[in-house]
Amino acid sequence: MIEVNITVNGEARTAEVPPETTLLTLLRDWGLTGTKLGCDEGDCGACTVLLDGMSVNGCLVLAGRANGCSVSTVEGLSVDGRLHPLQEAFEQHASLQCGFCGPGILMSAKELLDANPSASKSEIRIALSGNLCRCTGYVKIIDAVAEAGAKMAAHGGQSNG
Amino acid sequence: MQPFDYVAADSVEKAVKILIDNSPSARPVAGATDVLNDIRRGLVEPRMLVDISGIAELQGIEITDRGLRIGSLATHTEIIKSPLIKEHAPALADASLTVGAVQTRNMGTLGGNLVSAVPSLDGAPVLMALDALVTIAGSAGREEVALRDFFLGPRQTVLGTDRILVDMLIPKANLGKATSFAKFGLRKGQALALINVAASLHVDAATGRAAQTRIALGAVAPKPIHASEAEAFVDANAPGEETFSEAGRIAATQASPIDDFRASAAYRIELIQVLTRRALSEAYSQATGGPEGR
Amino acid sequence: MVEKVKEATRDTVLETATLEALKDIDVAGGGAVARRKAPPPVLKPEARRQTPSVGQRVPRPDSRPHGTGETLYIDDMTLPGMLFAKVKRSEHAHARIVSVDTSEAEAMAGVMAVVTGHDVPVNSFGPSYQDQPILADTKVFHMGDGVAAVAAISEQIAEQAVERIKVVYEPLPAVFDPLEAMDENAPKIHDPAPNIYTRKVIKKGDVEQAFAEADLVLEKRFSTQMVEHVPIEPHAAIASWDSSERLTVWSALGRVTLGRADLARTLDLPINRIRVQSTFVGGNFGGKNEITMEPVLALLARKARRPVKGIYTRHDEFVSSTTRHPFIMDYKTGVTKAGRILGRKVRLVADGGAYCSWSETALGKAAILSAGPYVVDNLHVDAYAVYTNKTMAGAMRGFGAPQVCFAYESQMDDIARELAIDPLEIRLLNAFDEGSPSPTGQVLESVVVKNSLLTAADRFGWKEPGQ
Ligand SMILES: Cc1cc2nc3c(=O)[nH]c(=O)nc-3n(C[C@H](O)[C@H](O)[C@H](O)COP(=O)(O)OP(=O)(O)OC[C@H]3O[C@@H](n4cnc5c(N)ncnc54)[C@H](O)[C@@H]3O)c2cc1C
Repeated sequence: MIEVNITVNGEARTAEVPPETTLLTLLRDWGLTGTKLGCDEGDCGACTVLLDGMSVNGCLVLAGRANGCSVSTVEGLSVDGRLHPLQEAFEQHASLQCGFCGPGILMSAKELLDANPSASKSEIRIALSGNLCRCTGYVKIIDAVAEAGAKMAAHGGQSNG
Repeated sequence: MQPFDYVAADSVEKAVKILIDNSPSARPVAGATDVLNDIRRGLVEPRMLVDISGIAELQGIEITDRGLRIGSLATHTEIIKSPLIKEHAPALADASLTVGAVQTRNMGTLGGNLVSAVPSLDGAPVLMALDALVTIAGSAGREEVALRDFFLGPRQTVLGTDRILVDMLIPKANLGKATSFAKFGLRKGQALALINVAASLHVDAATGRAAQTRIALGAVAPKPIHASEAEAFVDANAPGEETFSEAGRIAATQASPIDDFRASAAYRIELIQVLTRRALSEAYSQATGGPEGR
Repeated sequence: MVEKVKEATRDTVLETATLEALKDIDVAGGGAVARRKAPPPVLKPEARRQTPSVGQRVPRPDSRPHGTGETLYIDDMTLPGMLFAKVKRSEHAHARIVSVDTSEAEAMAGVMAVVTGHDVPVNSFGPSYQDQPILADTKVFHMGDGVAAVAAISEQIAEQAVERIKVVYEPLPAVFDPLEAMDENAPKIHDPAPNIYTRKVIKKGDVEQAFAEADLVLEKRFSTQMVEHVPIEPHAAIASWDSSERLTVWSALGRVTLGRADLARTLDLPINRIRVQSTFVGGNFGGKNEITMEPVLALLARKARRPVKGIYTRHDEFVSSTTRHPFIMDYKTGVTKAGRILGRKVRLVADGGAYCSWSETALGKAAILSAGPYVVDNLHVDAYAVYTNKTMAGAMRGFGAPQVCFAYESQMDDIARELAIDPLEIRLLNAFDEGSPSPTGQVLESVVVKNSLLTAADRFGWKEPGQ
């Protein structure tokens, strides 16, 4: 067993886990089930979370590697009941159909927009190329990300302003 | 996943010692994007993973008096964003940009890519085309070998189970050498290479001839290879589309691609010809400041 | 020519409109005065009046919880004391099961229940034919067949326990090519049943005569590959029994009532003792149209007296859940110089894999649609579904329609090229009209194919070559 200390969505958490535990498993064991297991090999992106601000596949990160890091998940996107511009835009554009890929896509998009809210559609496509959507609402997803980015840019890059 | 122990090492020497003490059932882990899948698929069954991701000496991208040094832990994202890479070896950034998707590039390291030694790895061709050297640390100390001698076969390198890849060096003479990388996958994002190729060359200002042409190919043989006959052909003939096309044909004869579910060998042969020609012509335009030059 | 056809289409529409108007003849008034209304706008369904929401922007009711991560899919649900199941899968495409030794798995700490095919009360299911075992007991028919299953206190222990189940097989010759499987001497997969398990024939007019009269006869084989649905959410279910021996199953299954009936049949349980709770589904696409491990989870849960969750791995999805049928399609079409189709002969071979699943339905639909949205007066379709020792094919978006569409549209392009006719024009020339009969004689209504073609051509800027 190894001890890990991770700050998740701003909250410090501690666990004793077997070393082979992935960050994905740990988050879900903590009840943060928004992050999904889709393929368990890094192909689908349903488990995308931000590790120190960087998008990663939770299924390919060992919990031990995340020790001392800060992790953001879909559950932390809205603050005090206020939706993140991405969440609003995804709702407006009906970007999520079955919804299973959504949390991962939202986190990949967040990484992009945090760095570059005025990202072009082709930059958005590159940023989302590790996230599969099988209901294939990609067009609506990309439109929503662009719109959320524009909103964030108008607020000086702030997401919940 | 099967259980294993996990230790984090904070220096190369400690990592090597842990590996030796637990050989052959311990493995280093850097970005883990490769090794965790290998464990899940039962390709490797380590009893211990030695996390080297916190070792300072393995990090960084810098110019030294010998050339451009890239720490083995440099991630693909770091390579893409590095101003030094952009200035001295931009084709390496082009290659890293084709590795998986953002999530994989954020965690996956160039060192891990090379050590994974799968035939399709995208990190090797550009480095081979630039005659890169790698530093290896083991119980007998440090050793430098040419990257072209590093690979032994699929998933096999000269490292064995108890040595660490420290860094990669692009020799000073090759910094800024015109280089081009081309990859063909079944889709644009997150696809392994059906084939990948890097070509580099100098153009002699006096004669207009190409010199020191290098053509490195991936996914066409059990390990990344140099198409040495094609390289010699380009150096020996007047550069131009005709020469580059012929070089593509020669390169294809030096390859031994496989038939698999992704593509047939015949299709790959065709891809080698086309991509080699394109890579050569792009490198040539770069060298001559042509329209496609950077 | 496109213009001309546009005219022709309008004429057709007018004709239809006139017919419509004639229906309005005022009989009550005694006088045969047709109240001829102005023809309605060209084939525009009056959607707004029928369904007020069409054309309106409506937020999806589940959008917000999807975006906040609140939506609970099966894998996000936990019941007290819940166990995790893993299925041991076959190592052979076709083999006799000599023995299954589960003793080592059963002895492992943390393993709470193990079941094999012999524990299944009625070990067969399937939407058309009950040819699929819940867990293979005597024979495995493809690599994805489950032979045993384990429920343990953790997924990892279940995984390790599955590794310790020892199965002895006697390999049998396997068939992977559907055409080989059709050969009389091919090994019979579901012996004594023949490998061809469904045949559909459509005969209309006289194709041979049509070919004789045709200016051009084209023949070609088209084939499509196996396709997996790859829903991002793998198959998932939880089974739980209460103290009065009632079973509740939460499942991502699309057809809950069918699943409930299958559970009742396979568990030999009155249907009123079973409750199937449908849940949010993370993608179905036809791939979650029948039960997979639900009865296995129920058996494990009964044995362990604890709820059991089962989630397919991505590998399970590929080897063990249904796929889209690979088709081999032989098309022979006779046309006039002008491009009018006179006759078409089609032979379809659907590779059904190891079990029938929805092949019956898919093959029927493929056969009916195999002539395309075109008027073909002389048609002969001969369609077969065949067993092979591969992952079974079932329902997937279109039930056989996409495969034949690839074939008939490819051949349409071939014909156009051969006759130097514009590909759009040849389609307009042959396409269904209002009232055209389908290959099986159904009179088609609300036919908009020509308008769709023209609108599409207009929108993407289609031009005849050379224009
Ligand atoms: C979805 C997905 C897509 C991918 N796409 C591509 C692609 O397009 N192209 C491509 O080339 N690769 C691809 N990969 C493979 C992989 O991500 C890359 O090879 C990556 O660079 C590996 O680096 P890592 O740090 O994650 O390696 P790790 O998984 O940490 O290690 C890989 C191997 O190298 C060893 N190792 C790592 N570092 C060292 C060191 N310094 N010294 C000694 N041994 C070491 C490990 O023991 C292990 O055997 C993909 C992977 C995934 C999951």
